[in-house]
Amino acid sequence: MLVCASPPPLPALTGLRDDKLTLLSSSPGLGGTPGETVRHCSAPEDPIFRFSSLHSYPFPGTIKSRDMSWKRHHLIPETFGVKRRRKRGPVESDPLRGEPGSARAAVSELMQLFPRGLFEDALPPIVLRSQVYSLVPDRTVADRQLKELQEQGEIRIVQLGFDLDAHGIIFTEDYRTRVLKACDGRPYAGAVQKFLASVLPACGDLSFQQDQMTQTFGFRDSEITHLVNAGVLTVRDAGSWWLAVPGAGRFIKYFVKGRQAVLGMVRKAKYRELLLSELLGRRAPVVVRLGLTYHVHDLIGAQLVDCISTTSGTLLRLPET
Amino acid sequence: MLGFLSARQTGLEDPLRLRRAESTRRVLGLELNKDRDVERIHGGGINTLDIEPVEGRYMLSGGSDGVIVLYDLENSSRQSYYTCKAVCSIGRDHPDVHRYSVETVQWYPHDTGMFTSSSFDKTLKVWDTNTLQTADVFNFEETVYSHHMSPVSTKHCLVAVGTRGPKVQLCDLKSGSCSHILQGHRQEILAVSWSPRYDYILATASADSRVKLWDVRRASGCLITLDQHNGKKSQAVESANTAHNGKVNGLCFTSDGLHLLTVGTDNRMRLWNSSNGENTLVNYGKVCNNSKKGLKFTVSCGCSSEFVFVPYGSTIAVYTVYSGEQITMLKGHYKTVDCCVFQSNFQIFSYHQWSRWFFIFSENICTNYLMHFFK
Repeated sequence: MLVCASPPPLPALTGLRDDKLTLLSSSPGLGGTPGETVRHCSAPEDPIFRFSSLHSYPFPGTIKSRDMSWKRHHLIPETFGVKRRRKRGPVESDPLRGEPGSARAAVSELMQLFPRGLFEDALPPIVLRSQVYSLVPDRTVADRQLKELQEQGEIRIVQLGFDLDAHGIIFTEDYRTRVLKACDGRPYAGAVQKFLASVLPACGDLSFQQDQMTQTFGFRDSEITHLVNAGVLTVRDAGSWWLAVPGAGRFIKYFVKGRQAVLGMVRKAKYRELLLSELLGRRAPVVVRLGLTYHVHDLIGAQLVDCISTTSGTLLRLPET
Repeated sequence: MLGFLSARQTGLEDPLRLRRAESTRRVLGLELNKDRDVERIHGGGINTLDIEPVEGRYMLSGGSDGVIVLYDLENSSRQSYYTCKAVCSIGRDHPDVHRYSVETVQWYPHDTGMFTSSSFDKTLKVWDTNTLQTADVFNFEETVYSHHMSPVSTKHCLVAVGTRGPKVQLCDLKSGSCSHILQGHRQEILAVSWSPRYDYILATASADSRVKLWDVRRASGCLITLDQHNGKKSQAVESANTAHNGKVNGLCFTSDGLHLLTVGTDNRMRLWNSSNGENTLVNYGKVCNNSKKGLKFTVSCGCSSEFVFVPYGSTIAVYTVYSGEQITMLKGHYKTVDCCVFQSNFQIFSYHQWSRWFFIFSENICTNYLMHFFK
């Protein structure tokens, strides 16, 4: 039975031993003191990983250990109130990037993967919510942190049209600059600037309603039509609109095709499973324009593939259902 | 554990704490029980199970052949290997048996003298357990997907019925007729559930992706339509609020009635605050749901952190309710699981599946010893 405990510190982020997997590491059977992390996986020695920007253990959030009952047996002493307190070492965390293991840091990391040159800088870097899940192990915590960032106004969450569940995350600043650049000199520039100035900071939601736009923010129907033409709003229902990114159509097209292509690579493999290192080492098919790592993060976070830890590294397998 | 016992004995701790810690430990140790079995009577799949709330001893099951069977779960023989016997059944030869598949059965919440069953043959039948005759029959225009009677109410005897039509009907057992119709949904109602905390609060889930909370005493519309994005509330917008991105299949209140769990065909399960309708954003990951009808899942009660048991393909996935963590998958069935039910006294958790097998999951260690303790 192989159990992977928390990963060693990622060199790109600060040197914190994160104890997210406290339950596993506190078991006496694994050896080591509770403060140390014990690693059994061999993935970091793989030469492929030295070249990828996400070094060593890129997907801490989703590894399943072979024997699920370990988790249950370790929850049992907790219910009886027997807990081991462990001392946290001195923590240096970069306030801009957030603590490593938080959603903020994950979003920053993932933004590096977005291919800006592909869209000639006209599109702000978009990261998907499912990619954040692949880096942050606890989904509820990730959701809550993203919601906090949304409320503070640092990021905007946007509904990507192809799947009601897929939400894109964009930094508000990037969004603002790109939208202004895109509508420069066009007839709807005035409406768009008014929208960016008044509505964006005030309302952090994904969608906007008719009465909100007309009464609270004072938009006329013609101005709303301008916004839809500019690509800033997309129709959701009669009288309600989603926030949208102008020019995102190309991105969505590449994304959907790329996702199908990467899933197809796993599907065509023998037994419908592939080692992560092997998948990342293969040449990306032409359809995959956004990069293999970008798509793999999304597939793992969206649970379209099961992530299993083995002695040779992480294995991606298509689920049976 | 011994520390807990001595603390309880000396009065240092609340007796409830020991019970809750022990319940949680037993739920965490759930495994397929090889010693207990249930007699097989049904010829087809089983759609619904219900264990009576009074003693936790009798279980009703409704099958897709229209047959309803009553089992006695108590093990009065001293042997460890035991098959739960069927006490009686309403088989195909009974004059009042349902013509098509039985979708929901429920015991009368206050005693075992009566139970209700609803079926695809557009009827809701009320049965007397001792004579096994129908005491009353309610006929509807459309097939009935689900019904529920309030488990706590003493002021009313309303049974909420969800049918293929978009209207929720409330049938009064005292007067024998349909007393209310709740309008608001646009497609078939797949699940209904009364709140275990308040007498008059009802939750309904529909194939139009909406979940509505109703106060049945109010004449005008529903109280809240749940919105998964937690957007700003305004009257004009209620039509755009969706709880899920697909059909909403299953509803379950937590045992204290403060939260509501919903499951949808978008493979998501969501936890809602039942007083203000807010999505608590607890993320359970992908909860596979391919069911075209309702999915019946259940929540534990009496544990220190509650667990939800959801049929997931041919296994049962166990999650903690408030943190969304997946604890385990209970494996044992060969085909898809349709429903499951939790019994809190012995933590014997029975579920069944499409091809007529019952499987009981319970704690495997020293069950005899622990049963004596709780008695």
